[in-house]
Amino acid sequence: MKLNRRKLLSLIGVSPAVLAGTPAFADDKKKKAAAPAVITQPKLEAINPKGMPPSVALVPMAPRLDSLDGKTIFLVSDGFAGADRFLAQIALWFQKNMPSVKTVYRLKAGSYFDDDPKLMAEMKASGNAMIMAYGH
Amino acid sequence: MQVEKMGLPTAPLVTIAFVGLARSNAASRGMPHERICFLPHPMTNKSDEEMYKVLEGNDPVSNKPLMPEIIAALTVPLTAEEKKTGSISPDVGPATFSGTQDELQRLYCDNNLTDFMPIILPTEEKVEAMLKGTSHKPDEVIGKLSAAQGAQPSWTFTVRHVAINAVMAGASPEHLPVILAISSTGQPSLFSSTSSFTRMVMLNGPISDQIKMNYGIGAMGPFAEPNAVIGRAWTILSKNLGGCGVPGLSYLGTLGSNFNYNNLCIAETENRLPDGWKPFHVQKGFKADDSVVSIFSGWSLNNIAWFSALKYNDVIKNWLTHFFSFGTGAATVMLDPTIAREAKDMGYNSKEELCDYWSKNTKTPAWLYWDTHRGELKQAQDGVEPYASYLKMGDADIPFQRFYRRGRPGAPPPPDAAANPKSSIELIVLGGETNTYFAGGDFSYVTSASVDKWR
Repeated sequence: MKLNRRKLLSLIGVSPAVLAGTPAFADDKKKKAAAPAVITQPKLEAINPKGMPPSVALVPMAPRLDSLDGKTIFLVSDGFAGADRFLAQIALWFQKNMPSVKTVYRLKAGSYFDDDPKLMAEMKASGNAMIMAYGH
Repeated sequence: MQVEKMGLPTAPLVTIAFVGLARSNAASRGMPHERICFLPHPMTNKSDEEMYKVLEGNDPVSNKPLMPEIIAALTVPLTAEEKKTGSISPDVGPATFSGTQDELQRLYCDNNLTDFMPIILPTEEKVEAMLKGTSHKPDEVIGKLSAAQGAQPSWTFTVRHVAINAVMAGASPEHLPVILAISSTGQPSLFSSTSSFTRMVMLNGPISDQIKMNYGIGAMGPFAEPNAVIGRAWTILSKNLGGCGVPGLSYLGTLGSNFNYNNLCIAETENRLPDGWKPFHVQKGFKADDSVVSIFSGWSLNNIAWFSALKYNDVIKNWLTHFFSFGTGAATVMLDPTIAREAKDMGYNSKEELCDYWSKNTKTPAWLYWDTHRGELKQAQDGVEPYASYLKMGDADIPFQRFYRRGRPGAPPPPDAAANPKSSIELIVLGGETNTYFAGGDFSYVTSASVDKWR
């Protein structure tokens, strides 16, 4: 069966009109040939789209310890994979290299974003410092 | 940081992939000099021996020996900067920018204020026109937006801020109430997670026809202006009104998602729902003549037709059993109306009945079950039933129904979960009925908001 071009384009879902160009496009080409080479754009004033980030209250850090000798360090995992195993290796390192340091492993309750008041209270009562591993 | 506030020195350990995030997070919470120690990335796949070797090596950022650095973080006296109090107001730049059309397009693009496609420049005139799309005052505070609530700063924004971003996305005033409703949920389209979350927004109620949303042929494609610009506006406003989408700081998705350009902005094909099937917003407690946006969160979608004698209730049941992605416990299924009618003819008188059938009858591939139920594996090895019997089944699908809401692993289950388990499958009907396709993926329902409130 012989197909003409128009029929073929219709069968593949393309209107033959799209390949013919439009009068407006043709006119535009003519205009371009005659137009001056430099087009100056007017200046505009556009609005900054940013919202309002919160102001930040600076928090002083906690005083540091004189040394870790005889101190209790909490090793806290945020629950992401791998943090627990890595903290176990830190505990092992202290055992081998600084045996006077006591380490206590804890998994923080809740998600990465959540506070764990129970753990905070425990650390305040019996800890001297914290090493926290964030996983990944 | 809470621990530092409590008076205990800390040494946070973070892998090198998150240097920017860790430092910006510390700064945005008021402790810009927090003594963060860095590790190689990734750590999760290392053996115990390899992890110990990391401790004997250097911090890859400071290049100093790691363990002495951790000890120093806890013991070296504070500097004056580290003791500082007061407050800092983040600078978001001037109120307006001046330049030619081309210069401003470049400026907005270079400053991460867009989705990197050309925008409509938000001039005062265009923003004023946009604000005519709502009865609300321009300075009304809508709420807060954050790349991750609790972990990233929460920005505040007003009706006018949303209107500015709506102009940029190419929206019209008639679209503004929908965009305001989306923003009122406080849900960003760009979530900070490494997992490259995708969000989806669906319209229900009279608004869909009023603004001419496409829910027919190509309902999920680029075939209508409101679907395109409303979805786009969500991403642009998430960047500008929530500080989202800054790679390495507030966006960590390792692969990213192309869906984020438009956030799968769809409308349910309510006029082709089978008799008795409720539109999605009515399922969620709204009235049929309410106009509502609903937000979903997930990662991926499959697009499937199955031409055999097997009926679609079971085709989809089998797909749900074997569908595997990062989200393993929730799904959203989008049915072309032809499949919805087939289901109705089979006797499913509501979406809920069909979702219930799927939740009750889907199973879990053996590898997936054991990989996500380590505790049960131990019990199975100790002979505890039913896990011991599951283990004897080898590679066969385990009769564990994973599409029920059971709460987060480790968290207590919802009070009535055991007595009245709720399907975690959502069902949407949309499409143009040109074939019996369905789309399904790991999206879960997040929330809905009234559009009418923002008219």
